[in-house]
Amino acid sequence: MDKEIVARVAKASHIRLTEEELDRYCKDLGDILDYFAILDEAPNHDGNGINPVEIADVLRDDVPEEKFDSEELLRDMKTYENYIRGPKLV
Amino acid sequence: MSDADTLSKLSRINDKYQMFNDFCRDGELGDAKFLFSVKDNLTSAEYETCAGSRILEGYRPVFDATCIAKLKAEGGKLIGKANMDEFGFGTFSTNSGFGIPRNPFDLSRSCGGSSGGSACAAAVIDDHISLGVSTGGSICCPASFCGTYGIVPSYGRVSRYGLIDYGNSLDKIGILAMDPKQMTKYLPVIAGKDKEDPTSCVQPELKITHKKMKSVAVPREAVEGIAKDVLDAFNKALEDLRSMGIDVEYVDMPELKYAMPAYYILATSEASTNLARYVGMRYGQQEGDLTLGFDDYFTSFRTQYFGDEAKRRILLGTYTRMEGFRDRYYAKALQVRMVVIDAYKKVFADHDAVLTPTMPFVSPKFDDISRMTPVESYKADFLTVPPNLAGTPHLNCPCGYNADGMPIGMQFVTDHWNEDQLLTMAEEWDKQFEIRKAEVSL
Amino acid sequence: MKIGLEIHVQLPTKSKMFCSCPTTDAPAPNTHVCPTCLGMPGSRPVLNREVLVCGIKLAKMLGCTIADEIWFSRKTYFYPDMSKSVQITQYDHPIGTGGVVYLNGKPIRITRIHLEEDPGKTKRTGDMHALVDYNRSGIPLAEIVTEPDLSTPAEARAFLAQLIQDIKHTLDLENGERSIRCDCNISVGKERCEIKNVTGLKNVETALTYEMVRQIKVLKAGGKIERATMNFDESRGVTYGARKKEFEADYGYIDEPDLGIFHIKALADSITIKEAPAKMITRMADQYGIDQKMAKQLVSTSTDLAQFFETVSKQYGTENAIKWVAGPVTAHWKALESRNGGTDEVLAVIGKFASGEINDTECGIEIKCAMTGESAENAQESSAGLETLINEYLDANPKVIEDYGKGNVKAANSVIGYVKKNTGSQYSSSEVVETAKKLIESRL
Repeated sequence: MDKEIVARVAKASHIRLTEEELDRYCKDLGDILDYFAILDEAPNHDGNGINPVEIADVLRDDVPEEKFDSEELLRDMKTYENYIRGPKLV
Repeated sequence: MSDADTLSKLSRINDKYQMFNDFCRDGELGDAKFLFSVKDNLTSAEYETCAGSRILEGYRPVFDATCIAKLKAEGGKLIGKANMDEFGFGTFSTNSGFGIPRNPFDLSRSCGGSSGGSACAAAVIDDHISLGVSTGGSICCPASFCGTYGIVPSYGRVSRYGLIDYGNSLDKIGILAMDPKQMTKYLPVIAGKDKEDPTSCVQPELKITHKKMKSVAVPREAVEGIAKDVLDAFNKALEDLRSMGIDVEYVDMPELKYAMPAYYILATSEASTNLARYVGMRYGQQEGDLTLGFDDYFTSFRTQYFGDEAKRRILLGTYTRMEGFRDRYYAKALQVRMVVIDAYKKVFADHDAVLTPTMPFVSPKFDDISRMTPVESYKADFLTVPPNLAGTPHLNCPCGYNADGMPIGMQFVTDHWNEDQLLTMAEEWDKQFEIRKAEVSL
Repeated sequence: MKIGLEIHVQLPTKSKMFCSCPTTDAPAPNTHVCPTCLGMPGSRPVLNREVLVCGIKLAKMLGCTIADEIWFSRKTYFYPDMSKSVQITQYDHPIGTGGVVYLNGKPIRITRIHLEEDPGKTKRTGDMHALVDYNRSGIPLAEIVTEPDLSTPAEARAFLAQLIQDIKHTLDLENGERSIRCDCNISVGKERCEIKNVTGLKNVETALTYEMVRQIKVLKAGGKIERATMNFDESRGVTYGARKKEFEADYGYIDEPDLGIFHIKALADSITIKEAPAKMITRMADQYGIDQKMAKQLVSTSTDLAQFFETVSKQYGTENAIKWVAGPVTAHWKALESRNGGTDEVLAVIGKFASGEINDTECGIEIKCAMTGESAENAQESSAGLETLINEYLDANPKVIEDYGKGNVKAANSVIGYVKKNTGSQYSSSEVVETAKKLIESRL
């Protein structure tokens, strides 16, 4: 397992790894992917496998409804004048 | 027993087994018809909901999961949120951010996972049912280790509205109980179409007709690499089944060996997207330095509050869906799921169920678990993963105890939507099997 | 130079794409929100049928092939406005692919159209941290992606203007209260730059022009254009390098398992759309042998007017349609619309002319009466008044007649200012120009 790839994956996942952790996860992922190699031998299938049973055409009518009290939804959030606070943008 | 006595007993039981994160400490049980608990990844307005993760500490959902609302409407009282591996990531409930539940038969051993707290609650609280969630074996494994029954219905049978997602195409809510009649009673209550969860809306009605099984198939692949105590109990159970008039036949299911990698790829790919929302905003942990750039801010929360296994699965899942690797892993795993489903359907053409041991060994001691590598612990799920990948309903039946008195379970798998025969099997089995209840000395 | 656009159109549904929250203006930030659009654990998306209907209509309008079966994908990226850090969008199975739109006869290929959810909105506090309003989170969007077939910033603007007209017409949007945002790709040389999130026609042209000039300068100085993502600063009219965005590879698309799949063939077959204005212009120019400009004037005044042109042409010949509908009827169309009037009476007047019952002048006056509601006397008087004014102007400015004669039709426009100065807003510009043309032609 390429350490650079694991580092890139960690960055994309927004997880910071120490050098020791990077080595450890690198080895773990390597072992796991070795174990997954058997998948290459598995037959292909032309079916659609998003779900194990076919879930099709479940739709909702376009009817607006306010089901939740927004004050309650924001109850435990950090807010300012009803805006939700977040970190710096750039 | 008065409400206060019941609750104080509950509190003492929890001190000993640590099966709950949050539970009913005081107040009244009122005229509750029955008491139930749920795995802590089901949202509840009256209790904190953390899914075993410190990143969600302090989260009080504004709504009850559909399954909880349905049990309440039936007169049930929710008394506890059961401990679990963080977001369901584990086989032994040792990956929780909030302590580890203890096996009712031996406190130095695991309850199994990831619904370990639920299995423990079902085993140690009288007349109790507990809802668990299974993604890759998280109901049957702890049911087997704690000596309870456990049913996982078909994918899409029980609404997942209010379930904190692990793998959305795999997650299934089910029931753990010592008495199989309770499962037959309450599965129809929590099942059914729910317009808040599209995947629940295609199911045929769940009808309990008490249809008995006539023949079961045992895949030869499933009895390889099984510990001797488990295999002995399993073979004894096969004899008992034959004496109940059920035909037992060995079959080949070579496709089962592909289920594990396909499962872990789909589960972690989906999980890594589900967990992307936990960034220190909106819910759970939110105390951070907002003057940090958003990438650093998000990273600091995720680095600090996700546990080791959560990080491992996020990394794995992000990798397997990344451009350049997606076709080899994620896309292939979707196809392999269909291959495994086809393999099951072929067996179901001639048999009512596929039968295997549930776990390859009895519940291990915590010391042994700490020495396992990730691959070793993933491999422990090799029998529970295939039906979970296929979304087929399955059942753990306690079928024996080893020399140390540790429970052993067997797992029945039936075709999609056929929970009827599983529930009937559990009740028939229970008539002739002497189930042992763990001794709860406080 | 190659320019391609990615256009995000908010779809006019009453409720959001995956939850029932209203899409109307909210009384305050974060009031049209629920667990689903806030991305709370345990919530789930349920697809709004109307989003599919709108998507199919737009796909048809763009001449795209509509898929029989579609599903959604998850695009993962981290930003405070994206409540789930995952956007539900369409990746490998979009609702429509491979369309084409004609801009003044030039084909602009449409790569694809797909459906996705809008993120929330952010703004900055004094100390630069974010304040987020998730009212917009989950509003349905269609993203239309063109091939790089546009050649200049002005053409990109014209294309966008036409597209917006067509979209409004196809989706019955009143005054375009839904916002349209654009990502603009432009390459002067080999490598392209993308300008993110530009709002408004003028801004699209300004941003592209600035970026075009920037790239030309780099190339002339012997430099190399680096592939980059740019932002556009509206107040200064300049583009600047954006913070490096995630690579496409890091989006890690997977299928969205919570929604399942959608068989949309039957739905698509059951939906017919009104002819889009741009298509109508091309067709009318072809069918009636009129020039593109006249067709465009008719259609952009109102598609009802264009349809009236077709009615008159069918009943009384194209010559009469050109003479009357493209002339005085167009001039008075706004007046008719403001009175909510119908065209039956006008049609009857043209009928009388066609049968020889009335003459040229009478027909002009009767059309005006029928459309503005003025009395015949008034109309005659004001029309005479207008003619007098214009004649005065023409007497004093013979060059106008000369220029017009040389083919500069726009010369007639100079009359407008004079008439307006003397009469205020009594006559509409189109009426003035129409009458001026008639009088100039009579003098030539």
